[in-house]
Amino acid sequence: MTLVDAVRSKWYRIAGVEASNDERRRLLELGLTPGTEVCVVQEVPFGDPLIVQVRGARLALRKREAEWVKLQ
Amino acid sequence: MGKATVAANAQGRKRPLTVCLVGMPNAGKTTLMNALTDSSFYTANYPGVTVTLASGRSKPRYGSEELIIDLPGISSPASPSPEEELACKVLDGQDDTIRPDALIVVVDATQVERHLRLASYVARCGKPMVICLTMTDLLPRMKLTLDVQKLEHALGVPVVEVDARSGKGLAKLMQLVREAAQRQFAMQKLAQIPQDPVAAYDALSALLKSSGALSTLHPGIADEVTNKIDAIVLHRWFGLPIFFLILAVLFASIFWAAQPLMDIVDTAFTYTQAFLAELLPPGFLTELFSEGIIGGVGAVAVFFPQIMILLFLMTFLEDTGYLARGAVLVDRPLAFLGLHGRSLVPMLSGFACAIPAVLAARTIPTARERLLTIWVIPLMSCSARLPVYSLLIAALFTGRKSWIAGLVLSGIYFTSLLAAAFTAGLVSRLLAKRHRRSLSLLAMELPVYRMPQLRPILKLTWARSSSYLQKAALPIITVSAVLWLLSNYGYLQYRYIARTSLEQSFAASLGQLLEPMLEPMGADWRVGIGLISAFAAREAFVSSMALVFRVAEEDENTREKSLLECIRAARLESSGKPLFTTSTIIGLMCFFFFSLQCASTVAVVRHETSTRFALIQLAFYTSLGYIVAVLIVQGLRLTGFA
Repeated sequence: MTLVDAVRSKWYRIAGVEASNDERRRLLELGLTPGTEVCVVQEVPFGDPLIVQVRGARLALRKREAEWVKLQ
Repeated sequence: MGKATVAANAQGRKRPLTVCLVGMPNAGKTTLMNALTDSSFYTANYPGVTVTLASGRSKPRYGSEELIIDLPGISSPASPSPEEELACKVLDGQDDTIRPDALIVVVDATQVERHLRLASYVARCGKPMVICLTMTDLLPRMKLTLDVQKLEHALGVPVVEVDARSGKGLAKLMQLVREAAQRQFAMQKLAQIPQDPVAAYDALSALLKSSGALSTLHPGIADEVTNKIDAIVLHRWFGLPIFFLILAVLFASIFWAAQPLMDIVDTAFTYTQAFLAELLPPGFLTELFSEGIIGGVGAVAVFFPQIMILLFLMTFLEDTGYLARGAVLVDRPLAFLGLHGRSLVPMLSGFACAIPAVLAARTIPTARERLLTIWVIPLMSCSARLPVYSLLIAALFTGRKSWIAGLVLSGIYFTSLLAAAFTAGLVSRLLAKRHRRSLSLLAMELPVYRMPQLRPILKLTWARSSSYLQKAALPIITVSAVLWLLSNYGYLQYRYIARTSLEQSFAASLGQLLEPMLEPMGADWRVGIGLISAFAAREAFVSSMALVFRVAEEDENTREKSLLECIRAARLESSGKPLFTTSTIIGLMCFFFFSLQCASTVAVVRHETSTRFALIQLAFYTSLGYIVAVLIVQGLRLTGFA
């Protein structure tokens, strides 16, 4: 499953990020590395982007970007 | 640092240290900068690139005065934006202008891992550094504790906890910075963290875990306050209504609150003009200066209060943390059009004035989305068009109720938004066929909500608005001087240049030269003069129309009335038919809607992009305005409207 399928307010562990090099690197830099705990905290109008909590930071990820984040 | 320098430093140095603030965006650098310098810093554009740097002296209460430079925030040293690139160049010692003696790495205490990753990159550059922990007041909100001593020991770098708002820890910070600058550089543990993101995070987690500096590495949900506010302002159903409500308040303040201030500026310039005409000896230069330059600058300066209020409110919203949420709310529709959530601020600003809007586009991370945003900004109905529309609408709906005018005006604003959306969608799809999809990520950090501090906001508002004045001043002065010359001087019988009436001026000749082009849109050379002078600032159209039709009344209300009467009475010289017919007026409104008639905007776009981009944009919108105007006028005539 990916971050898009995550249930709101539930914590998951990241398995990996699957995207092209630059995009993958950018998400990893934000702290979305394998083994990290992540949680979708908020739904927004249009259902896109997702608001996620990771390593103490609150991030907005487009659905397209969240799909690259695979969960364990 | 060599031994000689260390010795010199020990014997009471004369030169202040250059200290750079480094950190990720939202780390609290700006707040720290404000605290260290008491908000008395200068912002200047870095030569060659579109990066604004703030620099100032630290206050004496924090020890000897040092030069503090706030470097742009770095989120990704691996793939830097132009702003980040400058910061990285300074860190690498490749920059000739800024050579820091020491660095303050600003680290958000609630996101230690993420921020220390950047700190490890900075440590590798080998400059003396001190880590400054900010946002420590938020730790209890997140049920976290942090042991500074243990952290310092684990990292091998001096760490100091500050509260920039109360000033706590700042004197210690500056003391540590001075000590660090004098010490021989030693390889710290922090510099041994690998740079690959996965390995870096793993190493940092392990390091922090073994140090026991943090009560927990996984703080979970952000602080309760942020959580609760986000649940409301990003709510599925309430999110957008709240957003539009905030926008409505924003626009109401831009248009209504600014009005009395705008009147003051207007009056001030009128008096200055009259005063200078009295004071200076009569002659060509006096007239050029008081009528041409002061008059022209005044026409644009009228919008300064509006721009200041806009920038103040934008900065305020930015500081609360809401603006980032606004970008999130509109990202979906904007991304569909090929724009970015961050295009929101530039596009909103475009309703006041295109110049601050183009400058605000700098925050958009990818070049393509930034250029596309700048491309559509001139479509947003800026306030310089307002006087033009009011005049034309009044001429169109003679004697009808005023709510019709209001309705038409709102319609124009809304249509301008639609036109910008349509243009963006079209251009991005045309380009998508030719260019490979470039990297476009939202991946944006949402800062925690904080109560903004007034003083720094006022300071920043002033810095941003005066940068607007600097940008716009030269083109406005040049164009208004040239237009004044053109409309007051002409070729008369035996003299090449002579003071003359408007009908015989160069502007009139130019208008007559353009008449074959103006004829299809139902206009004549007199309207042509108006259109030419509108290039200095669109609302100059109104004043030049008054000049053309010789409306010389001082009082503003009767002046507008008599201008309207003159406009209604105006006849075409060739046929004697009315000049301002329904079709002509609608055609003119269409022309003003599309046309990029603003020398200052062209100049600023050129500075922010390239000469080629600015010229193509100018040609595109001006010809688009012309073509649409001609089509509308001819179409209306065919369907029976005069």
